[in-house]
Order: sequence, then C-alpha cells, then structure tokens
Amino acid sequence: MTEISTLEPWKDSAQRPYIEIKNVTKKFGDFSAIDNLSLNIYKNEFFSLLGPSGCGKTTLLRILAGFEKPTEGSILLDGEDISQVPPHLRPINMMFQSYALFPHMSVEKNIAFGLKQDKLPANEIKDRVDEMLELVQLTELAKRKPNQLSGGQSQRVALARSLAKRPKLLLLDEPLGALDKRLREQTQFELMNIQEKLGVTFVIVTHDQEEAMTVSSRIGLMDAGHLTQVATPTEIYEAPVNRDVADFIGDVNFLEGTFKGNDNIGTQLDSDDAKCIVYATQATDVDIGRKLWFAIRPEKLEISKKKPDFENNVLKGRIEDISYVGCMSTYHVKLDNGKVLKACRANRERSAEHHLTWEDEVYLHWLPHSAIVLQS
Amino acid sequence: MKNLRKIINGRAAVIGIPYLWLLALFFFPFLIVLKISFAEPIIAIPPYTSLLEWGDSFWPTIKASLDSYLFLLDDSLYINAYLSSLKIATISTLIALVIGYAIAYSIAKAPTRWRGILLMLVILPFWTSFLIRVYAWIGILKTEGLLNLLLISLGVIDKPLTIMNTDLAVYIGIVYSYLPFMILPLYANLEKMDFSLLEAAADLGCRPFKAFWTVTIPLSLPGILAGCFLVFIPAVGEFVIPDLLGGTQTLMIGKVLWMEFFSNRDWPVASAVAIILLAILVVPIMYYQKSQEKAIS
Repeated sequence: MTEISTLEPWKDSAQRPYIEIKNVTKKFGDFSAIDNLSLNIYKNEFFSLLGPSGCGKTTLLRILAGFEKPTEGSILLDGEDISQVPPHLRPINMMFQSYALFPHMSVEKNIAFGLKQDKLPANEIKDRVDEMLELVQLTELAKRKPNQLSGGQSQRVALARSLAKRPKLLLLDEPLGALDKRLREQTQFELMNIQEKLGVTFVIVTHDQEEAMTVSSRIGLMDAGHLTQVATPTEIYEAPVNRDVADFIGDVNFLEGTFKGNDNIGTQLDSDDAKCIVYATQATDVDIGRKLWFAIRPEKLEISKKKPDFENNVLKGRIEDISYVGCMSTYHVKLDNGKVLKACRANRERSAEHHLTWEDEVYLHWLPHSAIVLQS
Repeated sequence: MKNLRKIINGRAAVIGIPYLWLLALFFFPFLIVLKISFAEPIIAIPPYTSLLEWGDSFWPTIKASLDSYLFLLDDSLYINAYLSSLKIATISTLIALVIGYAIAYSIAKAPTRWRGILLMLVILPFWTSFLIRVYAWIGILKTEGLLNLLLISLGVIDKPLTIMNTDLAVYIGIVYSYLPFMILPLYANLEKMDFSLLEAAADLGCRPFKAFWTVTIPLSLPGILAGCFLVFIPAVGEFVIPDLLGGTQTLMIGKVLWMEFFSNRDWPVASAVAIILLAILVVPIMYYQKSQEKAIS
C-alpha cells in the first residue's frame, strides 16, 4: 500500500508537496497571463505543463525560475517561500528553449559555468563536468564551441549544463522543440532515463501532446492562464473533464444529446446525431433533459461492413474519406444526418481482404464503457 | 573582340572600378608624398629638389636623401608630438568606449519602437558640418562661455573655469566628435546579442554585474574593437580639434604636420612626418582589418 502512495504521491494526502504554487496571478498590464493558479508538484515527478501557445505555461515556468515575479500569490520549494528570491540564488535550473549556450565558451566551459559561480574547487568542477559529459554522451566533444555542434548535441549540452549543479528542480522550456521527429522521440526516452537516474524533479513546458503523454508522471493542462485538468496521461486521455480537454489530447468524436436517465447499462442519451438512444456505462447525476455529450475515441469505434451482433450503440453510415498512415487507417464515416465520425483500425494484415473503401455502407459500434460522458 | 569581352566582364568591372579609384586617388598621391619625403627643401616652385637628375648620361641619377627622416629623430619635438598624439588618442578612445558602450547598450535594450529614434539622435550631428560643431564647442567652453555661465548661475563655481585652450578641451572635442563611430559598431553588435544568455547566466548562479563581465563584454568584443579602431585611427592624426580647442602647449602630430607644410614650407620634412604617421597607424589598421574579417567569418 505504501508503495502505491510513493508512486502516486498526489493521491496520498499525507505526502507533502515539493513545490507549492499558491494562488499565483501574473499580470502584464491589464492582461492576466496566469490567473489565480494553484498547483502542487511532488518530489521526483516529471510534470508537464501542456497547452496551446499563449496559455501562460511559459510564464509559469519563468515564475518558477525567478525571471518573473508573481503579481500575487506565492511559490514554496521544499516548504520554503522562494517568491522573492532572485534567480541566481534559487536552487533551480532551467534548460532554455533556445538552449542559450554561451557561444564564446567550449562545451566543458559551458557545463562548468554554474559550478564556477559556486566557487567549487577546480578538481571537483572537473569531475562533475566529466560526469555530466558522460551522462549525455558528449565526452569527445568537450573542447568544441557551440557553433560546431548539431542541434541534438546542443540540446545535450544545454541539458548537461542545467543538471551540473544538481538542482532541486529542473525546468525545461520546450526542450525538444528544435529537434526533428525521430531524434525527439529518442531523446524523450533519454530524458526519462536521466530523470530517473538523478532523481531530480522535472517540470517541462510543451505544446506537443504526444511528448507530454510519453514523458510525464502527470500533465497539467493549461488554457488562458488556468489549469483545466491535472492528471496522469491515462486519466487525461481516458477521463477528460470537458470537451476542450478531450479534443486537445488526441482525436475524439462527440455525440450530442439530451439525458434520458440511467438504466441497468448506464447513462441513456437521446442523441440527435445518432437519431436513437445511445448508452455509456458511466452513470450520470444530472437532471433529466439536460444536454450531455458522449466522447468516443476513434480507436474505440469498431467499423465493419457486416451489422454487428449488438442491440445498442450501432450506427450506420457511409465512408467518405480514408486516411492511411501505414500502421492504421482512419475512416471518416458520414451518418444519415450528415454528422461525420472518425473510426480507426490497425492494419494488422498486409492484404486488403476485408478492404473498406470509399462509399461503402458500414456499421459503427462501441462498447458502453468506451464512451465518456461529458457535461460541458 | 571576344577576348576583350572575356577580360572586361561585369565582375571584373565591379571590383576593378573601386580599385582604380583607390589607385588613382590614394596610392599615387601616397607615392608623391613618399617621393617628396626623400627630397631636399629648396626655395623654388615646387619647394623641393627633384628625385631624378638628368646629367650627360642616358640614365638619370637618383638623388634620394634621408635627411628629413634623420631630422625627425634629431629634434625631440617630433617624437614628443607622436607620443602625445598616441596618448591623447588612447585616452579619448577609452573615454569614448565607456560612454559609447553605455549609450549603445541602452539603445539595444530599449523597446524596438524607440531604437530607430535613438539611433537617429546619434547620427543627427552629422547633418551639421564637423567644423561648425567644433566651433560651437568654443562657445560652450570659453571663459565667458555657456558652461561657465551655467555653473556660475547654479552657484557651483565662483570663478570661471579655464577649459578652452587646454588638453581637456581637446579630449572633450575628440570624444564628442568621434562618439558616433564608437556607438554604431557597438550597437550593431549588441543589438544582435541574445539576452537570454544573461538569463541563463543568472539561472546558473551568476550575479548580474558578473554576468555582464563574463558574458556581455566577451561577446561584444568585435564591436568594442571596431569602435576603438574607428575612433583611435583618425584621432591620432586629428588636426582641427587640437588647433581650434587646444592651447599652444597641446602637442599633436597633425598640428606639427600643418606647421611644416604651411608655416615652414619644408615639404620634405612634412612628408616624412606624414609617412611615419602612416607607418605608426598601419599596425592598428591591420589589426582592425583582421578583427573585421574574423567578425564576418
């Protein structure tokens, strides 16, 4: 039982958060970049702040680093209020989006920079730099200048430099944004390994939802200076709090309708889109007649030419578009009333015996527990 | 015809015309000055002996004399004037660097919409003749000038300060006149600077003042060098400012050169002074070229 609580400390009220962001507001003139935001982050977490550009995620990161002072509210690190501590005195380091490597210093001098500020003895600095170079596998490039490095190498130097001082908290601002897709995926796992190895708490800002899903222990989804949902990647994907969240993370279909009540299956929804009653396992506690939405992920919609052997949740339509991406195909199915639903299917066979093509009449079906009931 | 076309192609013309210009208007005059420096002064028109003498033989004999150069070594006036010029130029350059850096830095840090206007203010004095601006300083610095009037009316001083006709006035004049040449290359450099580097330095535990010395200054070194050379090189040979603002004791090589040409009418010595001045300046000019090439690559 204790093991579970350390893996998911946010579920255990006895655990003390490592970083406490308390009612923080940041105003630039009249504009509130952060609006009364509170958030707890626990030790050894890999926490992602995810959101569209302009949602305030970078501002929040800069407040944690100390480059911006909160207009209101406070920040506690390990129980200590650091709101008024200038950046150079905070035990927090940041990896910049632009990497911000000092162009006039070699790789090793860049990594040693922070240690020199602490006036560590020279041999200790050297040991730590060597250790960091090894960690990011750049030992051979120690003498190079930043302009002689590739994007991926610069990214590693920036990471090594920000980790060299063994900060209590590492902030990463779009750390993989400048890398190409393949390198980014590979680096995501390296980041996770390094984080696990050093046991440093990471807070990462990203607009890439796949990246956030891959690396995070928890994701804080931001919009217009607010946190809309803070949860693990699985919870965010499988149990989003509203349509915006469901739509931001992954692909989703919405069925709109009015609440008919709960029966032995679960929620009954009289859907205009489906033109019938549809079901979700999850029971709902609102007034009958209220507007509700079912969110169904495309991979949870079964598509077939043959009418499935189910009584409920079967819709008929016509294939309008197909997007084939190799590993899977997404079918855009138009229902009789014009509503288009997306269903995807893994291409598990090379041949196309069960081939579905344009204009085919197909049936869509989902299991009641696959639908998410949303009230807003 | 076809061959001629090949030789005089567009690229050669583009490069060739400025070279021809430099050859005709800089290199040949330089050769003339060099030639005069090896001649001897006589009372005639022109006031120096010719380098080649046509005797009975078919070939002319060359009559070169090093007297003018030896004369420069002989009289301590010239060496002192060179040293004094270098000293005044060095100190002026350093003062211009400190003031220019502060101005260039604050322009680079100013909001984008202000930068154009601020730069304009730096360039604005060029719209007035250099000579008039130096004359204006006489009006400011003289005993009954604007500066003294202001300080007396504010009660800072009782008696007017003697600034005019001193070395101080020369420093003020040189720093004022050449400041834009310091600011512009510094601004061009600082404007490109990535100020997130200073945030990175702060993030890694560096105090703001130290970050300035360990990050900003080293990165703006090309701008500093360019600005310093652009101020130092013309300041060494400056004539108008020491002549108008300086006193009789202000010794600068530009003034000596003028005196040799126009008062003494000793063209060979004047030419020798000019040649030595050029030789002294070749070193910093070459360093300047090198630093510019480095900045480009």
